[in-house]
Amino acid sequence: MEEKVLEILEEYCEEALDYTGENMMEEGVIDSFTVINIVSELEDVFDIEIDAKYVVAENFRNKEAIMELVRRLVEEA
Amino acid sequence: METEFRRVVVIGYGKAAGEILKDTADRQADYGYRLEFIEHELHALSVTKQICGERGIAFSSIPDKRELSAYLGEIREKTLIVSASNNYLFPAFLVERENMTIINFHNALLPDYPGRNAPSWVIYQGETRTGITWHYVTADVDEGNIIIQKASKIGPDTKAYELTERLMDLACEGFQECFDGVLSERVEAKPQGFSPKRRMYRSTEVPGDGFLDLQEEPEKSYRLLRSVDYGKTGVFPPLQTIVEGVQAEVLRYRKISPEKKKEEAGTLYLPLADGNLLKIKYRAI
Repeated sequence: MEEKVLEILEEYCEEALDYTGENMMEEGVIDSFTVINIVSELEDVFDIEIDAKYVVAENFRNKEAIMELVRRLVEEA
Repeated sequence: METEFRRVVVIGYGKAAGEILKDTADRQADYGYRLEFIEHELHALSVTKQICGERGIAFSSIPDKRELSAYLGEIREKTLIVSASNNYLFPAFLVERENMTIINFHNALLPDYPGRNAPSWVIYQGETRTGITWHYVTADVDEGNIIIQKASKIGPDTKAYELTERLMDLACEGFQECFDGVLSERVEAKPQGFSPKRRMYRSTEVPGDGFLDLQEEPEKSYRLLRSVDYGKTGVFPPLQTIVEGVQAEVLRYRKISPEKKKEEAGTLYLPLADGNLLKIKYRAI
């Protein structure tokens, strides 16, 4: 699962792979439009629904947070 | 650099507002105006508050329309309001104030596609070209004189959020080009030539009335799906459809090559003219 998430991040926001800070949205590494692309790809690849309530800066603050979100949603599916 | 504007107020949300805020902050020292940002619409992924914090820009959140009108109505000094991706309609009493100049970014080439959600409507109507307009704000919606326009192509697979992003980038470019002229009040703004066919798009309107008719041509369905695609931002409710007599809502869609077709529950495929398939995931409701 982690490998697939990283592949998606690499495709839409390569900088996110090396990011080690607190919040890559606030620091301008990733923007809201990139998040839309990543969410769309994650839904398709993992066949999950990412509800709008999960599409918040907290869940996209770094690659670990994105992986944690996907892990949770895949388990719930 | 000289301007008579003593105060610049930026109102808006999203990428365009953020970038314009940065630009106006960068030019503050050249002109000596006071800069502030007003957040009127709240967005989960907004970073404008962060930008204000980093650059020492006065930030206030005024979600209530009446409060915002009252706040702006108390301004007495000569002020430029920059409306960037903002859905607050400035009331006539503000627009007509002598100390107030308001400019707005509209995400279409005015006088075409005035009103709300223009990127959606241009995709839905099958346009191949659109753009942005910076214009002076008058009491009538999107009717003020044009300051600058920039055009963009619309690709056959362009989604509403992709077009929106491109138009925001163009809006920032346009702003950088016209800001000095606006501040020095030397812009030769052009009146809009109105066509009798001009149609105002309202916030309550949804392309295709929000219904995906599977009997329509697949190309039209694809345009509809792309036109309402803003990811999870909730600009439009999910499209409704009827699959084999059962009411359903569209979850997501994708254009795929025929070899990627897999028979899955809750999935249907429509053949597109270019040989690809339109994959639509849905759930019964």
